[in-house]
Amino acid sequence: MRPISRSISGSFRLPDERASLHTLANVRWGLLVAAVLLAGIGLVVVASASATMHVNYLPRQALAVALGLMAMMLIFSVDYQVLLSLSLPIYAAAIALLALVLLVGHRAGGAQSWLSLGPLHFQPSEIAKLMTAILLARVLADADQRYVGARRLALVLAVVAVPMFLVVMERDLGGAVMYLPMVAGMLLVAGVRPRIRFLASVSLVVVCALVWSFALLPYQRDRIATFLNPGRDPLGAGYQVRQSKIAVGSGELTGRGFMRGTQSQLRFLPARHTDFIFSVLAEEWGFLGVATVFGLFGLFIFKGVQVALRARDRAGILLVVGLISGFAFHVLYNTAMVIGLLPVTGVPLPFLSYGGSFMLLNFMVTGLILGIDFRRYVNR
Amino acid sequence: MGIACAVLMTVLLVTYWYVQGAEGEIYRDMADHNRLRKVPIEATRGLIYDRKGDLLVENVPSYSLLLDRSRDRSLAASVEFAARVLDTTTSALDAVLARDHDKPDFVPVLLAEGLTLGQVARISAQALEHPEFEIHVDQLRLYRHGPQTAHLLGYLGEVSEGELRSSHGELRAGELVGRKGVEEEFDSELRGRDGVRVVEVDSRGRPRKEFGRLPATPGRSLRLTIDLELQQEAERLLTGKAGAIVALDPNSGAVLALASAPSFNPNVFARRLDQSQWESILKDPGHPLEDRAIQDAYSPGSVFKIVVAVAGLAEGVIRPQDTIHCSGSKVFYDRRFRCWWPSGHGWVNLHKALRESCDIYFYTLGQKLGIENIAKYARLLGLGKKTGIGLPTERPGLVPDENWSEMVRHHPWYPGETISVAIGQGPLLVTPLQLAVMMAAVANGGYRVTPYVVLDGPPPPPVPLHLPASVLAPVQSGLVAVVNENGTGVRAAIPGLEVAGKTGTAQVVAQKTRTLNKDLPEDLRDHAWFVSYAPAEHPRLVIVVFVEHGGHGADAAAPIAKDLYETYFKIDKRKLPAT
Repeated sequence: MRPISRSISGSFRLPDERASLHTLANVRWGLLVAAVLLAGIGLVVVASASATMHVNYLPRQALAVALGLMAMMLIFSVDYQVLLSLSLPIYAAAIALLALVLLVGHRAGGAQSWLSLGPLHFQPSEIAKLMTAILLARVLADADQRYVGARRLALVLAVVAVPMFLVVMERDLGGAVMYLPMVAGMLLVAGVRPRIRFLASVSLVVVCALVWSFALLPYQRDRIATFLNPGRDPLGAGYQVRQSKIAVGSGELTGRGFMRGTQSQLRFLPARHTDFIFSVLAEEWGFLGVATVFGLFGLFIFKGVQVALRARDRAGILLVVGLISGFAFHVLYNTAMVIGLLPVTGVPLPFLSYGGSFMLLNFMVTGLILGIDFRRYVNR
Repeated sequence: MGIACAVLMTVLLVTYWYVQGAEGEIYRDMADHNRLRKVPIEATRGLIYDRKGDLLVENVPSYSLLLDRSRDRSLAASVEFAARVLDTTTSALDAVLARDHDKPDFVPVLLAEGLTLGQVARISAQALEHPEFEIHVDQLRLYRHGPQTAHLLGYLGEVSEGELRSSHGELRAGELVGRKGVEEEFDSELRGRDGVRVVEVDSRGRPRKEFGRLPATPGRSLRLTIDLELQQEAERLLTGKAGAIVALDPNSGAVLALASAPSFNPNVFARRLDQSQWESILKDPGHPLEDRAIQDAYSPGSVFKIVVAVAGLAEGVIRPQDTIHCSGSKVFYDRRFRCWWPSGHGWVNLHKALRESCDIYFYTLGQKLGIENIAKYARLLGLGKKTGIGLPTERPGLVPDENWSEMVRHHPWYPGETISVAIGQGPLLVTPLQLAVMMAAVANGGYRVTPYVVLDGPPPPPVPLHLPASVLAPVQSGLVAVVNENGTGVRAAIPGLEVAGKTGTAQVVAQKTRTLNKDLPEDLRDHAWFVSYAPAEHPRLVIVVFVEHGGHGADAAAPIAKDLYETYFKIDKRKLPAT
């Protein structure tokens, strides 16, 4: 009732009134347009990347986009408060899915992270990230002091540790690491004492050292060593980065044209439809293509941050921050990796890389953020 | 946080600007000169030998011609040159090129496969005038004995999309993998592991300098248990027929021959097949791709009486000397069942019942045993489940019982069906290989062997069935009588070699009146069986012969077994009196 009484109380509230009536003007169109354009560009680049592969990935990617759009609308239509109130069962379902993968999952590329439903294969670790974020937002939203208390911090870490552990058990170390930027973003916004922040930075370094010496598989250690010294492995990871850099650079300003990239079409680029999709874009569309896609990612992230700033409750803010942090991390890491600024690891580029589960996740994230923004004036 | 993100994105964008703008020309130059190329070193697929070391499968080099249109001065001139060398028309080559017209012109396209050495030489000699052509060499699988080992060995086919995805990167797109037979079952061992070379190539695509190399691991070669001579003879004897032959060592389970007819030539699969070739194989009414020895299950007919006899003795339902009167027919459950010999066999004991294959004796025995006991011994002797030979197309057959009837047919087992099953008819289905395992167990004194085709380490240990000599000896002596005492298997008798066996004639359609088989259309004629072993005293070889729609086992199957024993035991056929 309040929005209506508010609109009566003063004429300067007119925009709010329009918003409160749930009109389409209330949808954050910039976010949606960026997402759809990026997915569209992705389809074009996947078509080119798989032109000389034995499998044409375009139809499946198009299907993933269609399913993603549907999932986006579905999650948009659900009030995020309902999701928050169901956060525990949702989290439990995420854990159950991840456990199921360990029991009956498929192995692909060294990691056992696929579930099969008839002809469909999907990777629950992607969706599980979103499901975990909802519970995290709720746990952190309940705190009303300036800083998150030690007990709550422990609870947050425990909530993240369970899915991360399961994903590590699937031998998908990269997938597990992707939980960290999401949690870090949420914690920073929720407020963490400076000394804990310091402690976390130190322990991150220690953990990295420990992981390096004990937990990494030989091929993973190889990749990092190669990153530090690209000349040492012309057959493996060094080859990959080198070819990718040649692809990006040879695109120059205007690119070589659709399906005209020699690096892509002559199969120099490995994983060119997935993790290295951005090199295909850079080669065939040049710096113009790169700048356009950066602009769209920037728009998406900028609009996302706006939503966070304007959301009406802590849980909404935190949820958007977590989702946008994870998204931004993927964008930054992938684009840096492709030109050899960071070690090669399986971090796909949102909306562009081939992969149904990840496409679905990104559209669901979009739907959730749009939904949170849409309901910013509705009251409990 | 938003600001941090914006800063990082700007930094990245500037880096891209630098790489693509300032350094772009350097990279474009590198791309144009295709400096580094990763060239796979294909692992040589393992060879396959027979037990004596005769080569069955080898690899031969095959040359294909590729055209890189981006290096072309004049496409028409290239096509004309290629047509001249390949002895074909330019329009035919244009059609081949049209297939790949949507590929970028710098992606080489396949023009022809299977070039002769002479053609390769002529093209290489013109390399300066025609730099647009590339000769690609790969290994072609050659099955030396073609159709004679086709089902046993299988063939190679291009990897499917599904296999590619589930192989976890072990398979490359376009790679050939084993299909059926030994090639499929032992694919991972035969294939080996591909290596890779990173080479710097010049603008003509010729390697200049090697940067690194990971050598290929060749596939393991296999030695089979197969006796090539016996295998070839078996295939020869089946020429023009449909059927299967299994020969195995009853003591170890080693398979000496595994033949199925009609057959196909696996060498045609080594190259890309065109649609009409595929269809002629797939639509062949004889179904040549099917392995009748392990893949298709049939009614065993009277051969199954061996199982019923073992069951009767082991369960104590009959003693060897007990007699039953055969008057040519007998009523069970209100229905008249006939013996194949219309005038009747008179008083029959087990020995005579096996020798003359008296149906009435086994109807009566089957009724006394009941279906559950029959099924128990059928399974004990290896029927109703896969033998474990380790070939991908093997099927389990069917041993029916009351439970099966309820679960699958949703109606109770009819007692009358037991009478039919007792002489190997009814829903019962067996593969020729299963009957060979059954025969081996009777021959070797009660051990169920697991058949195997690759000589590699000790054979799988036989399973003792705990059947005493008092059970097996009377059956064995009956089987000797079948061949050597003027029984139904007399046409398998060999002077100087005591063969034991049992004939079978499995009805394809239920017949109201007995029609002579030769008067029936071929696809309604009975299936002919002969299961056997030799020498009777110390068995060294089991032979099962199955001839689809062959008529009587005594006439159509037994003589084939005889020929094979003579081949295996090196008995000179010419010295024998004509039969």
